[in-house]
Amino acid sequence: MSLRERYGGMTRAEQGVSLFVCGFTALLVVALLTGGLTPSYTLYLAGLTGMYVLLSLGLNAQWGYTGLINFSVAAFFGLGAYGAALVTASNSPLAIPGGVLVGLVLAVVGSAVVATAIAIPTLRLRADYLAIASLGLAEVVRQIVLNQRDWTNGSGGLRGIPDVFAGWPVLGPLPGELPGLQFAEYAVGIPGLFRIRVLGFTLGEPFWTDLLNFVAVVVFVAAVYLLLRRVHRSPWGRVLRTIRSDEELASALGKDTYAFKLQSFVLGSVVMALGGVFYAYLVAYVDPGDLEPINTFYVWIAVILGGSGSNRGAMFGGFVVVAIREGTRFASDILPARLPVDVPVLVDVYGAIVSDFGSTRLLIVGLLIVLVMRLRPEGVLPPQRELLWPSALEETDE
Amino acid sequence: MSDALTTGANREKDDPVLEVEGLRKRFGGLVATDDASFAVERGEITALIGPNGAGKSTIFNLVSGFYEPDAGTVRVDGTDVTGKQPHEIADEGLVRTFQTPRKLEGMTVREAMLVGAGDQPGESFLKLFTDAAGVAAAERANVEAAHEMLERFEIGHLATQPATDLSGGQMKLVELARAMLAEPELLLLDEPVAGVNPTLANTLSDHIARLNDDGVTVCLIEHDMEFVMNLADPVIVLDRGSVLVEGSPDAVRADDRVIDAYLGGESA
Repeated sequence: MSLRERYGGMTRAEQGVSLFVCGFTALLVVALLTGGLTPSYTLYLAGLTGMYVLLSLGLNAQWGYTGLINFSVAAFFGLGAYGAALVTASNSPLAIPGGVLVGLVLAVVGSAVVATAIAIPTLRLRADYLAIASLGLAEVVRQIVLNQRDWTNGSGGLRGIPDVFAGWPVLGPLPGELPGLQFAEYAVGIPGLFRIRVLGFTLGEPFWTDLLNFVAVVVFVAAVYLLLRRVHRSPWGRVLRTIRSDEELASALGKDTYAFKLQSFVLGSVVMALGGVFYAYLVAYVDPGDLEPINTFYVWIAVILGGSGSNRGAMFGGFVVVAIREGTRFASDILPARLPVDVPVLVDVYGAIVSDFGSTRLLIVGLLIVLVMRLRPEGVLPPQRELLWPSALEETDE
Repeated sequence: MSDALTTGANREKDDPVLEVEGLRKRFGGLVATDDASFAVERGEITALIGPNGAGKSTIFNLVSGFYEPDAGTVRVDGTDVTGKQPHEIADEGLVRTFQTPRKLEGMTVREAMLVGAGDQPGESFLKLFTDAAGVAAAERANVEAAHEMLERFEIGHLATQPATDLSGGQMKLVELARAMLAEPELLLLDEPVAGVNPTLANTLSDHIARLNDDGVTVCLIEHDMEFVMNLADPVIVLDRGSVLVEGSPDAVRADDRVIDAYLGGESA
């Protein structure tokens, strides 16, 4: 299928989203070439996006599929990040022996155990109880991480987390062996109109390491996405979607709704923990601040904005949240400090927003949510109309 | 058809699919079901009628496991299911429908139908990965069965419509068709023609009679007396949480105690 045909076959929302993603990526490439972004920061942004995508895919597997309200995204993210960091960080008080894989297993098993423990008493009750219990769990996990210093190093955090592939055969030494690439600086432009400098940086070992991390994130996100897509359109996913609409109906038809809800909750929590594992390697440092409730709500925003119940929507939502979180850092540099037109109240408001984007970021997020809910309550990319096991239709569709 | 009428329920049945004995449920100070006992004979269409507040819906919820009884037993096909979870009771072959048709958002009609099929290998998370071929084969068979079932209910053209875009009557048909995909021993229908126009009520009545001819045992609650009297035999009359009389439609209709119960007088 040619690109043009493929584009023509999309819904309007899909076209809009593809154009937005392409445009945004193009903007990043331009910023990269003109020196607005450094290569390693660009890769960091891409990795951060991958992490948010994992978190929103995880929440989507709970809220979007089954309708489970989980307010402890940050806790499961934290369990993943600390699970990885406790094994590999240089100042880990526990000094658990093992490498990346042991950390990964610890994160997955730890989050699955905690998810099961919180789910067993609450899933039999009405939906609101899980919401309340998970809100409490998030705070409990954060307080434990903050105060159990002999395990987690408390507010000091865990530092010195090595690269994902450090010590691995082939992949470990690879970045050091790759040649450094030097890009000379060029000046381009239209004479008399404008001139900008492009390129002019060197890609050395740190860049290759970041690139390898990034490849790892991409591979993992792709694997998780494919797995979730498979289970979502399976009979298993169909039961979850039935539970979301009407749990009584599902149980009247002989489905053990409690078992399905438990599986959905554990699956989503493990995916969130994977996001945490990547975060630990991405920034090489974790501290209890990463477990703040605000991170949970960013992920909720991503899922609702993208379209609850849609894997692609969750991915897009993750992308948008990173764009807002990181994009607002630059907005104050790009936007003029003063409003060009002189309207008294507006000038003050504008000045307050532009001078302090860190604080007004949440205002923007809130406005965005209000707009999406007003104009498109099902989210930007709602789930496809019919989800059936793909090979089941081949012979019956005549 | 006989004119036989028994005071209380007729417990002398040869081959009961459902046996309810001494069922009691209290909500605070209100006794909704008070020592209700009855049996549903295999192959028949049994109706539960009674004035508002007689405890019909409560009995359905108790029998299907949505409420836990304070006392009494429920047996499906000889197996004691008292106090079991709804899905366990459904596994024993008792499938119920709901008064207001339940909408499945974001699903097409055939998807919503597929939920009904029991014992799907694809409902096991592990088998999705270890036995993909088996899952696909079962799913293919189920899709085919869903299409056939929709055809049998003369709504095959709705298969790929969104399940939320149906009229009330179509939803009732889909719900009935879906319940049949679960291959029930006993079908509990909670007000199958409530809020449905008379033409469609007749259609539904024909469908239920046809299912019964095919060997499905049906037990239903309904307020529409014409519908009940044409379709069901026997009819069990409930009053104040327990069984008043049981008998053929004609016998029940002629009984003074039934008339009194409906008119709110003192029952004899």
